[in-house]
Amino acid sequence: MSDLGLRISDLRASVAGKQILNGIDLVVEPGKVHALMGPNGSGKSTLAFAMTGHPNYEILGGSVRLDGEELLGLAPDKRAKAGLFLSFQYPAAIPGVSVANFIRTARQSVNPTDLPPAKFRKMIFEKLDVLDMDPAFLSRSVNDGFSGGEKKRLEMLQLAILNPKYAVLDETDSGLDVDALESVGKSVNAMRETDEGKNTGFLIITHYPRILQHIKADVVHIMMDGRIVKTGGPELANVIEREGYDKIREEVAGGVA
Amino acid sequence: MASLSLDQPAGVSTETLERIMAGASPAFDAGTRRSALAHYEALPFPTASYGRYWKHDLHKIDLSEVVTTASPVASFPAIDLFAADARAAQIAFVDGIATIELSDALRSRGVIVTDLATAKRDHAALFSAAVGGAVKTATDKYAALALAFQNVGAFVHVPAGVSVDQPIVIRYAAVANDAFPYTLISAGEGARVTVIEQLITGAAARFVCGIGEVIAASRAQVDYAIVQAANLASKVIAARGATIGIDATVRIGLAELGAALTVSTLQALEAGTGGNAEVAGLFFATGEQHVDLATQVDHAVGSTTSTTVIKSAASDRGQARYLGNIRIRKSAHGSDSSLRDDVLLLSETAHVDSIPALEIAANDVKAFHGATVGAIDADTLFYLMSRGVPRVEAERLIALGFFEPEIAKFPTEVLRTALRSSLEAKVTAR
Repeated sequence: MSDLGLRISDLRASVAGKQILNGIDLVVEPGKVHALMGPNGSGKSTLAFAMTGHPNYEILGGSVRLDGEELLGLAPDKRAKAGLFLSFQYPAAIPGVSVANFIRTARQSVNPTDLPPAKFRKMIFEKLDVLDMDPAFLSRSVNDGFSGGEKKRLEMLQLAILNPKYAVLDETDSGLDVDALESVGKSVNAMRETDEGKNTGFLIITHYPRILQHIKADVVHIMMDGRIVKTGGPELANVIEREGYDKIREEVAGGVA
Repeated sequence: MASLSLDQPAGVSTETLERIMAGASPAFDAGTRRSALAHYEALPFPTASYGRYWKHDLHKIDLSEVVTTASPVASFPAIDLFAADARAAQIAFVDGIATIELSDALRSRGVIVTDLATAKRDHAALFSAAVGGAVKTATDKYAALALAFQNVGAFVHVPAGVSVDQPIVIRYAAVANDAFPYTLISAGEGARVTVIEQLITGAAARFVCGIGEVIAASRAQVDYAIVQAANLASKVIAARGATIGIDATVRIGLAELGAALTVSTLQALEAGTGGNAEVAGLFFATGEQHVDLATQVDHAVGSTTSTTVIKSAASDRGQARYLGNIRIRKSAHGSDSSLRDDVLLLSETAHVDSIPALEIAANDVKAFHGATVGAIDADTLFYLMSRGVPRVEAERLIALGFFEPEIAKFPTEVLRTALRSSLEAKVTAR
């Protein structure tokens, strides 16, 4: 068996003393796009935070391996260095720290053997262009007074520049208008067409299927009550679109009964 | 009377005062200084008036050890913050010895940058008109002491209508002697000037007790920024004040970075309609540092505006207290003021008390107050760490970012860069 992949096994986690993840098993292969769908409260964001090491989330058991390396127990920065990236649903503001400084620091941290400044600059400008972002953005404080769309674009800019092995996109589509969603899709697809980005595996967490019209999923998982209850091909997203989650909930309940 | 030998501590006695004034102080001035010393001796220690928040027992500063008569060091390696072509003028002291640099061009426009003895001798009328106009030496014990001893000091005068584009730099280096620096800045009608004052020390612990006054006539615009970077064994007490005329603007930036103990007060008096005071203060108590800062903006007349923004951090066992006061007198209709202070605590043993006070006697005024006290936000820290940034580096970025909007209020990019690196060194060293 290959070690490659973001391999989540029997992951159980709690937040504020309440168990939310009840044993998650999921494998994202390099270069593949997995969608993780589920109703509100099913534990999708908890999975994202538990994997990346948010201090409020307590791991009760299981493992998360990234190309063979166990991530659980590592500090969040070590997980990032291993190649994991989380696009936040609600990224924090960092007053007084410019986007340019932040991105440079982040890139230096995950990839210390780095590009010369001129090349790095050129790369940032290319990615900004794909995301329809004004270069003036770079001198603003990170997420400070940003609109919802600007925050998500900045997450995508970081994704493109940090070029992780595996990226978890937590509700990147929420609160986005059509144009912003299209920019996000364009950015991710552009990244996946590059030599460096083509092997990045994606776990796209979403409530609604519409982001999957912009980024094609290879596999769709449905999560409910802290478990993956169904896994299928891209057509599964269409089922959700047509019938909502209730049908699947009934089906799962019926199966268990 | 036993004669004191040089280089011996002589304390702050009448005898020492007479010795340091001998031949250096004109008669009118000697009288002022003798009565200031009498005020100092008569005034109580400020303990009671500061109430239960007062953490530092000023009784314990042993002023019998104060040195004012040691021979100045022959040379002291101070690096100019501003290159010669980036400053309009400079007056740099090593103990009591001044090196003054003022171009003929500015001199011919009536700009004065000089030491106190010269000011009192050659510019007596201008000096006398301004002196004592902004700091209440009759009621402030340590300001009275500073006024009495003033063994170093600078007089900056910019005549009506004159704009000085580049900063005038004042640097006090307290090396072999304790220092009682006195800065007097007077700006005539419509004059514009930026004054940047630095306080540094050598390796020895020093006692520094000073005054800074700004007298801004109508429509004058004065930027006065003070960077206190004494060594971490020194004690620094400073009283600053500004009196702001009609339609004048005075911006004061206080960066209290050094010293074991800093007690810093600032009073801005809005004395003319349309006056505007902008106060920015920052300090960062690291190690065992104690910082005590009190600011007051007094809206004495109507249609005046003021903003006060203080940002402070504390780490290790750093202790600090900030008293922020806005006073709007009954006569000050239509005034608009704001007071905001933010505190960042970087360790559980650090402590900052933030005590705002708004005294508003007029009705149709605007007065805003806001304050925050807190540790580094866990979500912000996680966000940075999730990007591969190690915890220490993430905390450093967040702390520097916290100060950045305050740094932006200080004049000149040169000074802002220097402040950033001083703060960075403090964050890194913690």
